[in-house]
Amino acid sequence: MSDKYIIEAKDLKKYYNGDSIKALDGVSASIQQGEVVVVIGPSGSGKSTFLRCLNLLEVPTSGQVLFEGADITDKNADINLHRQKMGMVFQHFNLFPHMTILKNMTLAPMKLLKKPQKEAEEQAMALLERVGLADRAKAYPSQLSGGQKQRIAIVRALCMDPEVMLFDEPTSALDPEMVGEVLEVMKELARDGMTMVVVTHEMGFAKEVADRVIFMADGKIVEEGTPDEIFTAPKQPRTKDFLAKVL
Amino acid sequence: MRASASQLWPEVAPDWILNGPDWLNSLGYDIYKSFVFDDRYMMYVNGLRNTLVLTFFALLIGIALGVVVSLIRVSWDKNHDEMHGPVKVVMAVLNVVSKVYLTVIRGTPVVVQLMIMYFVIFASSRNKILVGALSFGINSGAYVAEIIRGGIMSIDQGQMEAGRSLGFGYVSTMRYIILPQAFKTVLPTLANEFIVLLKETAVAGYVGLADVTYAGNIVGGNTYDYLFPLLMSALIYLVLVMFFTYLVGKLERRLRNSER
Repeated sequence: MSDKYIIEAKDLKKYYNGDSIKALDGVSASIQQGEVVVVIGPSGSGKSTFLRCLNLLEVPTSGQVLFEGADITDKNADINLHRQKMGMVFQHFNLFPHMTILKNMTLAPMKLLKKPQKEAEEQAMALLERVGLADRAKAYPSQLSGGQKQRIAIVRALCMDPEVMLFDEPTSALDPEMVGEVLEVMKELARDGMTMVVVTHEMGFAKEVADRVIFMADGKIVEEGTPDEIFTAPKQPRTKDFLAKVL
Repeated sequence: MRASASQLWPEVAPDWILNGPDWLNSLGYDIYKSFVFDDRYMMYVNGLRNTLVLTFFALLIGIALGVVVSLIRVSWDKNHDEMHGPVKVVMAVLNVVSKVYLTVIRGTPVVVQLMIMYFVIFASSRNKILVGALSFGINSGAYVAEIIRGGIMSIDQGQMEAGRSLGFGYVSTMRYIILPQAFKTVLPTLANEFIVLLKETAVAGYVGLADVTYAGNIVGGNTYDYLFPLLMSALIYLVLVMFFTYLVGKLERRLRNSER
């Protein structure tokens, strides 16, 4: 692992309703190339907001996000260009229901990266092969199970050859028996060296895969460290309290 | 001096009608004078053609206007907080113009709009079809705009986020992801708006545009008998509407069957 930072968040603040609701209250974090960072915390702690600020789906009230050294919060930055290199996976999959799986995956590479259709489709098929869904290429999203949809959502993002993958509670909307298949894909991705930021409630995944765990509460980072440090020897009472409830 | 319908009738009528019962004879004569004499059926044929041309171009104008206005309204409502500088000023102006357009058009009768267009704004133009298509198109656009706006707003916010997260800009996401889905949702409603538009063009006679209604009215006025001419006008609309309703039904079934 090099110590080049791929994402640096500096003092992110996100206020709603003037400043009566502080979803993020000064969050700074740096993510290294190849690192898997898992963000945990109670609901309403701002962890999803933090993740969504990293690719500016949520525009922070103040603070900076540097992606590969460039300030993407700058008004003159071309956020669309940066987002091409930041894949994102959502809790509710957000596949495009009017397109086949293959079209879902090839749309962005063809329109944005100007890949020829053949090349885009070959890449998509290879990725589908990897997640065991090659036979569903011509299906529509509504014909798939939740777990299948989320695996498609992951490979759809991968089709853009992203530098980093952001996961926003990718297993929270799934039936329990489908959580495993999605986590398996994510683990494989982590093994292949993908830089990942994962907001999740899956503590098992955090323990097994994370290089670093960030615990957030009330819009702030309360504690961060290796999975060992956080799960076996948390220092902050807020962290202990949370882990006692979920473990 | 040309012969009148009543003078010609005994010559052209088949014997079995002429020598038949009185009611048959008079029915035959009514039909003859309403549709056959003086090639009057051509009035309806031309009227039908004018009605269809008028409706078709009004529909095109209406959809084009409706898409533009709905996009302006949706973009402003959802994103005006994030707009800056000249873009914000332009969009603010466009949004106000759109709102005024929707209010005025939906708040006044289409007949009045048509007459203002023909007798005031385009007083120098004698092209009735063009002015008519423009008037009905501008009118229809307001309703289409609200239909499409409803369609766009019915699409889950996650679709926009997914598109943007892949690197598509707002406009591209609209084009490739949101609008195709929105159109699918509102297609049946749009088709109904088209049927409404078809019937609304019946007031085109107010500016002397010879449509289906106008044909019935003129023939009735010439024969002093409105029964068959107006029944024919009504029948033509009914057949057209039934045909389009059938098409819409087929379309809806096809949409339901695909993908789900």
